Formats: sequence, C-alpha cells, structure tokens
Amino acid sequence: MSKQSFQLSAADFAPAPPATHAERIVRPSLSYWQDAWLRLKKNRRALSSLYLVIALLLFTLLGPWFWTQDYTLQDLDMISQGPSWGSAALVVEDPGAWEGVRGDALPLPQGQELGATTQLTVEGAATTQYVRLYWNAVPGAQHYLIYRNDHAPDSGQDLGLPLGETLRPEELSFADRLQLRPQTYWYTVIASDGLTEAASGTTLAVTTERAITTTQARERGLEATVGASVQLPAHPFGTDYLGRDVLARIMEGARVSLFIGIVAPLLFIAIGIVYGGICGYFGGTLDIVLMRIADFVIALPFLLFMILFRIGFGIGPGESGIFPMLLALVLLSWPSSARLVRGQILQIRGEAYVQAARMLGARSLYLIFRHLVPNVMGPILVTLTFAIPMAIFTEAFLSFIGMGVSPPTPSWGAMSNEGIRTMLSSPHELLFPAFFISLTVLAFNLLGDGLRDALDSRLRSRE
Amino acid sequence: MLIEATALRKFFSLSGGRQVHAVDEVSLGIAEHEVVGLVGESGSGKTTFGKTLIGLHDKSGGEVRYRGELLPARYGAADFRKQASEIQMIFQDPYGSLNPRMTIFEIIAEGLAIREGRSLAALRDKVVYWLERVGLHADHLSRYPHEFSGGQRQRVGIARALIVEPKLLICDEPISALDVSVQAQVVQLLGELQASMGLSMLFIAHDLSMVRYVSNRMAVMYLGSLIELGPAEDLYFRPLHPYTQLLIASNPEPDPEHERQRQDQLISGEIPSPVDLKAHCRFAGRCPKAEARCFEERPALREVLPGRLVACHLL
Ligand SMILES: Nc1ncnc2c1ncn2[C@@H]1O[C@H](COP(=O)(O)OP(=O)(O)OP(=O)(O)O)[C@@H](O)[C@H]1O
Ligand code: SF4
Ligand SMILES: [Mg+2]
Repeated sequence: MSKQSFQLSAADFAPAPPATHAERIVRPSLSYWQDAWLRLKKNRRALSSLYLVIALLLFTLLGPWFWTQDYTLQDLDMISQGPSWGSAALVVEDPGAWEGVRGDALPLPQGQELGATTQLTVEGAATTQYVRLYWNAVPGAQHYLIYRNDHAPDSGQDLGLPLGETLRPEELSFADRLQLRPQTYWYTVIASDGLTEAASGTTLAVTTERAITTTQARERGLEATVGASVQLPAHPFGTDYLGRDVLARIMEGARVSLFIGIVAPLLFIAIGIVYGGICGYFGGTLDIVLMRIADFVIALPFLLFMILFRIGFGIGPGESGIFPMLLALVLLSWPSSARLVRGQILQIRGEAYVQAARMLGARSLYLIFRHLVPNVMGPILVTLTFAIPMAIFTEAFLSFIGMGVSPPTPSWGAMSNEGIRTMLSSPHELLFPAFFISLTVLAFNLLGDGLRDALDSRLRSRE
Repeated sequence: MLIEATALRKFFSLSGGRQVHAVDEVSLGIAEHEVVGLVGESGSGKTTFGKTLIGLHDKSGGEVRYRGELLPARYGAADFRKQASEIQMIFQDPYGSLNPRMTIFEIIAEGLAIREGRSLAALRDKVVYWLERVGLHADHLSRYPHEFSGGQRQRVGIARALIVEPKLLICDEPISALDVSVQAQVVQLLGELQASMGLSMLFIAHDLSMVRYVSNRMAVMYLGSLIELGPAEDLYFRPLHPYTQLLIASNPEPDPEHERQRQDQLISGEIPSPVDLKAHCRFAGRCPKAEARCFEERPALREVLPGRLVACHLL
C-alpha cells in the first residue's frame, strides 16, 4: 500500500453506531436431558427402536381393545391353522343328529373271498365338522375298517391313518370327526370278516369345506340355520394347537413378558441404587462387608434358586408361577446394578464439584440428591434399558423350560414352548412368539445403545 | 499466621501395603492478606497438600491450626460447614469442578443457598453481582457448564468460592488448564480480588514465572517435601536449592536474547514415584551436586539466610 493513497478524513473518526444485537448468535440453553434427547433424536437407529418400544407397549396395552378375541377360547375345529384373514363357513347340523346307515349283514357265498366295498358315498356335504361315509354291505363282512389319507394311496399300500372300525356287520356308515381341515382327503373302507381283511378296499376322494355346527354358531352369535354361510373370525397369526387365536395370545402374553421385563429390572435396580449408593457413599468397612455379600449373591445359581422358590411357594411342576420368577430375578440380579451404582458414586464423589459442595458445607442428603443422584441417573437409565430385554429373555427362557408361566396363561416363552412341539407341521405357532421376543429384545438393546451414547456426559462436556 | 501446617503428612495406601508419600512432613504457614505460591513438578504433592490442609483429605500426620485453633484430623460435614465462610478452594480441573446438571446460577448460588437456606430466587442479585465481578454476563445465568470455555468455567469456580466471602482461598493451578492469553487474565482477576477482599491465598502452580507476580512468598515442593521457601522475587532471582535452580533455569525466558544465553541445564530424568520413600534427600537421585550423605540423611528445612528456608545439606 503506497503511503500517498492512504488518506484519512475527520469522518473516519466518527464513532461507530451502537452495536446492535443482530449478530449475536443466540442458542437456547439446553439442560442435560434436553441435550441428551436432541442427541438421541439424531441417532436414527435409537429413535426407531424407541418408536418400536412405544409401539410394542401400545400393542400390549391397547391391542386387546381393538382385537377383542378371547385368548382362552378354544376352537377345536381350527387347530393349528396358519395365518388367515377370516374365512366363510357353512353352518351344518350338529354331528349327533346323524344316526348313520344300517343294512343287512349278507352271508358270504361259498368259496368266495371277501370283496371290496362298493358304493362308497358321502352323506350330505363334506365339511370340516364331519365327513359322513356310507357304503353297501359286503357279503361276509363282520365289520369295516376306515382309513384316511391326505394324498391318493397308491397300490393300496399306504392307506393313511386308521380312523376306526365299525362294530357290527349291520353298520354301514362312519362319521369322521378327527381334526378335519379344508382340503382333500382320501378315504378307504375295507371289509373284514373278523380275522382277515379284504384284499382290497374302495378309495374315495373327498374335499371338505369349512363349516361350523349350529350349536357353535349359536355360541358365537352367528346365524344358526343349517345351510347358511357365515364369516368366521380372522386369525392373522393363525391359531395354536387348541385352536386359540395366536394374535390375542401374543397380546396377552406380552403383558406377562413385559410385566416381568419391566417390573423386575425396576425393582432390582431400585435395590441396586440404594445398596450401591450406601456402599459408594459411606465406603470403609461397611462398603467392604456389603460388597462381599453382593459378590456372594452374584455367585448363587439362578436356576437352582428359581426351583427352590417354586418349591417354597408350593408351586408344582406345570403350574404358573409369576411371583417366584419375579422374586428370583429381583433377589439374584440386584448385585450387578449395585456394583454399577457404587462405582458411579465412588467416581462422582471424588469429582471436584462434590468436593466444592462439601467445602461449602453441604450435608449428606444435599450431596446425594443434588449432586450424586442426578449424575448417576444417566448410567442407571442405560442399565435399565439393557436389563429389560435380559429379564424378558429370562422369563421367556424359564417359561420355555416350563419353570415360569404355564398354560393357560400365555407368555411369549410359554407360547414358544407350546409352539415348538408343532414346529414342523405349523411353524407359525413358534415363529410369532419367537419373533416378538426377538423384536422386543432387539428394540430395547438398540435403545439402550442409543441412550448410552446420548447420555455420555464426557462426550458432551469435554468435546 | 492465619493458617499454619506443622509437619503435615498425607500418605495414600496402595494395594500390597505400599504407601504413597504424597505429602511428607510439610510445614508451611500463610499470614493474613498474604499470597503464598506453591510450585513443583506434576506429582510433587501440591494438590494433596492443599486438600489435606483444608480437610478434603484426612491427615496422616501433623497438624493444622487456623487462627491458632487446631483443625480436626478428619472432617465431617459439620466441620466443613463451620469453616465454609472462612476457607474455600478453586479446583485444578475446570471441567470436573462444575456439576454438569446444574445451571451457572445454581452453581454460584450453591454456597449461599447451603449456608443461609434461602430460596435461590432471593440470591439472584448477589449472584449476578459476582458473575459480573468475575467478568461473565448475567445472560449466562441459565446456561450449563458445557456451554462454556475452560477460562469461563474457571471464573465460575472463582465466583462460587468467593461469593461466601472467605478469608483464605486455595487456588489449585487455576490457570494451568488455560491458554496463555487467558492465564494472564485469570491471574489478574485473582490478584484484584485478593487485594480488594484482603484474601489470603495459597496459589498452586507448576511453573514459577506467572506465580511470582501474585505471590508474596514462594514455596517449592519436590516429591512430597517442601525444599525451599522464601520471598517470591528473591527466590526467583536467587534460588538456593539445586532443584529450584534447575527448575528456574529450565523456564523459557520471554526475552530471546536471554533465552539464547540461558545455560541449558534441564533437569535430567523423570520425577521418581513417591512410593515407599527411603530416608534420604528426595532429590538425591537427580541432583548434580549430590554427595554421599545426601543418600543417607534427609536434610531439614533450615533458615540459611534471613527469610530464606532451604532443605539441602550443602547450604
Ligand atoms: N487418591 C490418591 N490415591 C493414591 N495416590 C494418590 C492419590 N492422590 C494423589 N496421589 C499421588 O500422590 C502424588 C501427589 O499427587 P498430587 O495430585 O498432589 O500432585 P500435584 O503436585 O498436584 O500434581 P499436578 O501438578 O499434576 O496436579 C502423586 O504421586 C499421585 O499419584
Ligand atoms: S541434599 Fe544433597 S542431594 Fe539433596 S539437594 Fe542438597 S545437594 Fe542435592
Ligand atoms: Mg495437582
């Protein structure tokens, strides 16, 4: 810059206009929790798991208002049905109304073999309620054996399930009521002279259609005239081995699972806070003694105590025991949270702000409620969100091995236990409860992860 | 003397029965309105001395008298309450010394709220006064500590300690965590407050250059013991103890001319650990002038010149 060109005038020295606040960047002051919430909201994984947790809670609490099917209602005609959105059904007369068909026993002509059954016919409509068969008498037959198969039998060898046999030669009919589903069945009727069966029988393919009896229709408040078509309730998650609605049972089971999952951690963490708080705050010999006790409790085998509590409460095998499960969880799980709280308190107690408060004359209660508690809340909340899935899983596991909730009370674990028996034929009975267990455990774990990141004050104050 | 420590001792027990001799028989007094600078390398026990002096650590030995009255060896909440209006402390770490869950207002008002049991709202004017006095703004009242810089937090710590108007202030390295430019501001602020309130101060630092401006006397610690004590300027320009000489020589000179001439006698080796110390001169392992008896006998702090106390066999 050349010196000549640099000219100053008096105007250059006029005072600047008073500074306005226009340029001041004002950011609202955020408390610890507000700030943590903002960070949690930025974490998309944690936020979606939070929504998932809320959805699960709503599902449990509000679900039964909208899904009004009775979770205890057994429908033996709808056993182990896959997911379906309702189905039409025919109303048919009660099974007892049919007296069957009788004929005359025919003598076996000399020198003849026992022949095959003829004229095998279905009486009325073939439905899931019953398939009524009748046939012509076979000369020399003392009784008839009835078989059912779900595929066409080849070469007369695999006739399928032996459904039963008639008792007298005059009885020429049979009503099949055994777990019928809407599908095609192959019935075979073979005559027998009491000692040997006929060499061949007659096979008839029958396609059943869904039906309910007039009595059942009446019980459900549906139109109860024979021949009417009614709409059966939907089972979006299918039905279980007793024909109960899996969705309704999942909702009801969630209550048990989430009750244990939330109440047990709340209780044992509360114990942990008090216990660990006392250890951490007072320290010294008391701390040493109390922590040895906690170590001792940690070493106790959970399952053994679970069994002892059940025996202690007089709960036999196969009976429901929510309370002993809760008790065992609470009594054996608190030491880990006590340890955590103790560690936190020890650390915070050494922080300079606590020493500053002591220098200012703070009493114990003031220190505890003003400095220690607010600063351990974060880690405790994180522990809680991790303890919830753990407790849910423990409940599921215990119910699964038959030590927790037992039928008829549903819980996800108990339902999985029931479902595993029919895993191959109707996997949905296992998959739905297992899916909900996994989903809940995952959601709480992800939420805990997110919370831990959001609440990490070190990240925040020492950036 | 306002406060006087005699043969004060603080040992920490480690596992296996070993002991850290963090403070080993330190005798030091602070007169009314006096500022004593306490310097030493990291780990020499300055913080531990400060905290043991005012009761934040239980004493392992020795005694402390405040205005002639013996202070308890082990403090309870009531003892702290009794001395709250007399003695306060500013902590070394400006990050850990403010509760992250409290607003600046709550933090500064804490002392008055505890002492007077008054509602926070009634204390607002006084808090604002102190906030402005330490160079912060009333806008800052509802903020949280994480929104502040290290220097600002240190000012909050100063306001918290001084709002109860103590007579004695322990400043534990109030500036070492700060930028050099901010260091001078905070030292100046403390100097002003000290003068206007007639405070007595123990000013802890690990280098002498800044402390000498605010201190009347300076004390040098090494490995838990006090090795030199004397008037600030005198000690700075004419250090007597071999360790102090090295410590001052290793200080960078602001004047490049002097800096070039400075004979580079840096102290060799690390400061040894103060675990299970033997009875010999603490500095013997690193002392360029060490003699045989230095390894056998621990030198006592003696007055070698008027007002100058040194712990060295050679003097
Ligand atoms: N609570 C404790 N338990 C065990 N040892 C401790 C404890 N506090 C301090 N020490 C030890 O005591 C010695 C002195 O520590 P102190 O904090 O007083 O040093 P300092 O001079 O303040 O150092 P700095 O300049 O780094 O703050 C160190 O060796 C330290 O490891
Ligand atoms: S006593 Fe000996 S070792 Fe210790 S400082 Fe003096 S000369 Fe050095
Ligand atoms: Mg220190």
